[in-house]
Amino acid sequence: MLKLFKMDSHHQQINKMLKLAFYCFLIFLFFYGSCSYSYESENKLKTVIVGKLAKYITWKKKNSSKFVITVLGNEFGTLFDEVYLHKQIKHKPVEIKYIKSIDELKKSEVLFISKSNRDNLNDILAYTKHKNILTISDKRGFAQKGGIIQLYFLDQMLKIRINVEKLKEEGFGIDRTLLRVVDVLKRDKSL
Amino acid sequence: MNNKIIPLSTLFVSRLLCDQSDIYEKSLKELLSTKSELKTDIGSRGGAKNYLESNTPIDVITYQQIEHSGLTSLVDVLRYFVAGFNAPETSVADGSDHVRSFTIRGMSPDQVLVLINGKRVHTSALLHVNGVIGRGSSHVDLDTISIASIERIEIMRDGASAQYGSDAISGVINIILKGMGHKNSISGQYGKRSRGDGVQEQASSFISIPLEYDGFFNITMEAIKQEATQRAGKDRRVMPPRVLTHVGVPDSVNYKAVINSEIVQTDNINIYTNAILNYRDSKASAFYRPPNSDVANSNGFLPIINAKILDYGLCAGVKGKFSKDTSWDLSNSYGVNLFHYYVNDSINYTLGNSSPNSFDNGSLKFTQNTTNFDIVKHLKDLKISSGLEYRYETYKIQAGDKASYTNNKDIKKIAGSQGFAGFTQGNEVDRHRDSLAFYMDSVADINKKLTVEVFARYEEYSDFGESTNAKMAVSYKIMNNLLFRTSGSTGFRAPSLAQSFYAQTSSFVDEKGILTHQGTFRTDHEVSRAFGAQNLLSERSKNFSIGGVYEPTKKLSFMLDFFYIDVHNRILLTNNLSGSTKEQKALLLKYGVSQIRYFANAAITNTRGLDLKMNYSYEFENSSILEVNSWLNYTQNTINNKDTNTQNDVEKVRIENGQPKDSLRLLATYTQKDLEYVLNMSRYGAYSQMLNGTVYDFDASWTTDVQVSFQATKDAKLSIGGNNIFDSVPNKWRGDVNNFYGNNGIKPYSRYSPYGYSGAYYYIKATLEF
Repeated sequence: MLKLFKMDSHHQQINKMLKLAFYCFLIFLFFYGSCSYSYESENKLKTVIVGKLAKYITWKKKNSSKFVITVLGNEFGTLFDEVYLHKQIKHKPVEIKYIKSIDELKKSEVLFISKSNRDNLNDILAYTKHKNILTISDKRGFAQKGGIIQLYFLDQMLKIRINVEKLKEEGFGIDRTLLRVVDVLKRDKSL
Repeated sequence: MNNKIIPLSTLFVSRLLCDQSDIYEKSLKELLSTKSELKTDIGSRGGAKNYLESNTPIDVITYQQIEHSGLTSLVDVLRYFVAGFNAPETSVADGSDHVRSFTIRGMSPDQVLVLINGKRVHTSALLHVNGVIGRGSSHVDLDTISIASIERIEIMRDGASAQYGSDAISGVINIILKGMGHKNSISGQYGKRSRGDGVQEQASSFISIPLEYDGFFNITMEAIKQEATQRAGKDRRVMPPRVLTHVGVPDSVNYKAVINSEIVQTDNINIYTNAILNYRDSKASAFYRPPNSDVANSNGFLPIINAKILDYGLCAGVKGKFSKDTSWDLSNSYGVNLFHYYVNDSINYTLGNSSPNSFDNGSLKFTQNTTNFDIVKHLKDLKISSGLEYRYETYKIQAGDKASYTNNKDIKKIAGSQGFAGFTQGNEVDRHRDSLAFYMDSVADINKKLTVEVFARYEEYSDFGESTNAKMAVSYKIMNNLLFRTSGSTGFRAPSLAQSFYAQTSSFVDEKGILTHQGTFRTDHEVSRAFGAQNLLSERSKNFSIGGVYEPTKKLSFMLDFFYIDVHNRILLTNNLSGSTKEQKALLLKYGVSQIRYFANAAITNTRGLDLKMNYSYEFENSSILEVNSWLNYTQNTINNKDTNTQNDVEKVRIENGQPKDSLRLLATYTQKDLEYVLNMSRYGAYSQMLNGTVYDFDASWTTDVQVSFQATKDAKLSIGGNNIFDSVPNKWRGDVNNFYGNNGIKPYSRYSPYGYSGAYYYIKATLEF
């Protein structure tokens, strides 16, 4: 180490000191830190959060051996299949179904309504009414328009808005700890 | 040493390359604090896209980053973050002191297109005619927009005329205003220069009113009071020599308001509006006028040029869907910039004792109205969009008081108000033009790896004719974390109405002590025509870029892009031309001038270089986060001008060497619980300026900015910081050029200095959210 400071010129000395500082910084980062701080795609976060939310929700009907997530208007490619491959929700294996029209909807715990279906939203919500299906969408104003869970992004972070009134109306139970981390829709009676 | 370092660095890199565990294993709380990709709207009508996966180089500055900078001006914010963005602070340059010019890649300021929420913004009415960076251009006045209203700034470093039309040659800046979900806030900042002057007081408020179905109505208001800085040298024309002229940041008050609103209807119709309003009262001096025994009533005085700028714009639109996969957007943007000159503490020598001391010197007004209709169709792997744009522009010069310009028939004396002569009735103009454009874009995801974008745009202007432009951009994912991209395009810039119709006459004593009456004339004026002026044509460009993005992990990314831009028909202001023929001399006499100048399509410029960027983020075990961003830009500009009327060594030096060829930004942010530390280091490369036939070189410099923020409560944040904390100033002129310029002159620093010359600035800032 002492050899390091036996330099020929002032510039070389500064250069080597800067190099030393840089490598010290690398070593510091390696040993001090452990977990990475990285970003994820919006679609991946939306996909994963569906299963996470399900842990905090109780379904009235427990009539199937599988936990079915139906995606209406798939904009996620194979992401749902990849994320839920060999995964369990509520101690049940997960089955992913893709439909293009609400008429194709069969027994399902969760219905994920992608943005492209905005034209049919009223029809979709009417179709799922009183069927104990958890409706989730990333469509703007979804919770206020009668959906149960709305996903949106603010400051590059995923946010959740829940229409608790609708959730209860549809017969779901909710773990109240969820309400601490989500945005609960406040109904303005004037609207 | 090297033998030890190699395994260590290998170990570290392997650690970096280790991807994190399955995201599904994260808790709900962890997922909700995981950052998502940063998406941008710029560059494609097909929808927002991760900026790292774009076919063309795109950069993003978020509002959180802006808050870290402690800056209050949008021009300074861009200079702080963007290597290759240049925005000098000039003094004693008439109107240019009040509207900061800016360049990307050393090109002209009017070769940058500025958008707000994706819609074109009107330019300033001011035309830079002094020897500043950006001479001969009218560009968007970025200081009209409150930075408290901004959610993010998107910068596309590529030609985009085939997408957006005129001006998008060196790049496009898209300012996205804060939308839904932002908290209300008030903020105040107080700061001053290390030398005690330049006090800046700023206050802003942001109020967001939620509307039905996630609609919003946001209003931002801001006031900034800026005290002048004084960096002038002693005036050796008076005895004893003393500081008499003002050189530094001008005295100004700036009031800004921004509205951004979106009303979401149940039937999928969204109504959106945004509006900006800015009033600025800015005062800067001309050179001090020493006592003059030849003229009456002159005991020596400092003329103050007072610019009162009113700028407003309103954009309103409706967007909806024809069907599930076809959307439409109809909008209209109207904008006005009014630049009114006043000169105070001055004299019109030719009026003798009857001269007033304050003058109304007239005004410049630019108006722009743009109507757009776009349709976007989403097919399986193809997005097709097309649209129409109609634009109407007006440009008006209004004469000042007669006392501000009259020469009282005595051409042996300097005419008009000293410091800046008013616009005469002969300068008055009220012109308009319109243009109609049709454009088509298509984005095809050929497969999971290959994306191809094709753009075409046809545009017809009522003044110079038509322009058809095309662009093709391709990206290919060689691996999941390695993207190759390239683009080629043609582009254009319509000559501004100001370049065609600006006119002003001024008198001054030139470098040899000769009284000169100089006139800037419209291109269609008989004097200009006698010297060879023609109607201006559009500038034509060819852009090519090639590069890529490498993301070894999602916390580390590298971007490298090379660019090459050719501009033909570059519009320049001619030299000061004295008549050589009988006809020319007669016309000069007729209009009472000894020299004239006008704008002409004159030169070919070439711009080439590269951008190298690195972004890195790291979370420590104690949850503190380190983010490091670095950006290196190298740009080389050359000009080839064979037109004798505009051939000019001063202009050549300004275009080729007047701005740093290399610039570097190193930004580190460390966040630990309630504390946030920011360190920004900027390197500005060397530059040159020509004066009196000699090229003067100025050294490269570094500036260092720091900020420490403390989250005192959940809603209250206190910050303390400094910009250019080591008080770096550019080196002064070598020797003395004359009484005005030089190491011991009135202006000791070059007006091209890329970071000004006012030195260190320290501030405290408080923000309260509610």
